Amino acid sequence: MSSIFTRNEPSQGDKTEPQKSESAASLDQAKRPSPAMAQASAQVITPPAPPPTTQPAKGVSVISRALKITGQLESSEDIQIEGEVEGDVRAATVRVGAGAKVRGTVSGDEVELSGTVEGKIEARKVVLTSTAHMSGDIIHKDVSIQSGAYINGHLKPEYSKPEQPG
Amino acid sequence: MFARAQQIHAEHPPSRLGRALRVRGLVEMDGELTVDGTVLGRINAYRVNLSSESHVEGDVVANEVHVEGRFSGRIFALHVTVESSATITGRIFHNTVSVAKGARIDGRMPWRPPSYFLTLTQLPETRL
Repeated sequence: MSSIFTRNEPSQGDKTEPQKSESAASLDQAKRPSPAMAQASAQVITPPAPPPTTQPAKGVSVISRALKITGQLESSEDIQIEGEVEGDVRAATVRVGAGAKVRGTVSGDEVELSGTVEGKIEARKVVLTSTAHMSGDIIHKDVSIQSGAYINGHLKPEYSKPEQPG
Repeated sequence: MFARAQQIHAEHPPSRLGRALRVRGLVEMDGELTVDGTVLGRINAYRVNLSSESHVEGDVVANEVHVEGRFSGRIFALHVTVESSATITGRIFHNTVSVAKGARIDGRMPWRPPSYFLTLTQLPETRL
């Protein structure tokens, strides 16, 4: 009927085996994609196996290109932004893709910027790729900047300085 | 609103607001949106899936809404599907609706003609 019931059901143990062999089959998939897919779907009766394409893991949030958020975003997991955010973003890892735009503060443990940020970045590790466009300050502990990245602002290595001398 | 959305719908992969994500504010998009996390505010999309782990408070405006989780507020959609795991408080403005046995709905479910939903963006009651 609904998905939550079917999700809790398979505790019989025989379901884990085909999933293992299915992941083994997915390794071969790069060489011969269509036969391996047919095998995988034949082995597993219930089809929960997501196609091993660009589909991210379940915990990851994707703000796709067509999506626009006005307000705050907060997550204890990863966020991938391809769309537009007006407001603050806070997550474990934030990826701002090429073409994405964020107006506000982006904070997290790790921030990878390929798009545009107008505001501030606060992260332990900041990566600016060649397509990055950053207007505002970057507060970091570890920064890497590829050739071609645009930065208009200050780089401050001041991220989380609890034990400051004096 | 929806005619334009239908064209764009095919071009973009569905968005997902993950389980750990908490959004406060306005979420707008032209395609399909899946919510596993928490949204406080308003969602505008072509198709919205509120999964069994989701918790949404506010307004949802869409062509099609599928509810499995906790929702409180108002839904404005032509087609609404309420699954048995859903808990809804508020109003469901719909043209067609289906409710699974076991769903908890506390509120009203007013029927509206399709023309009502075409002008939704202009209605004062749907403003955030």
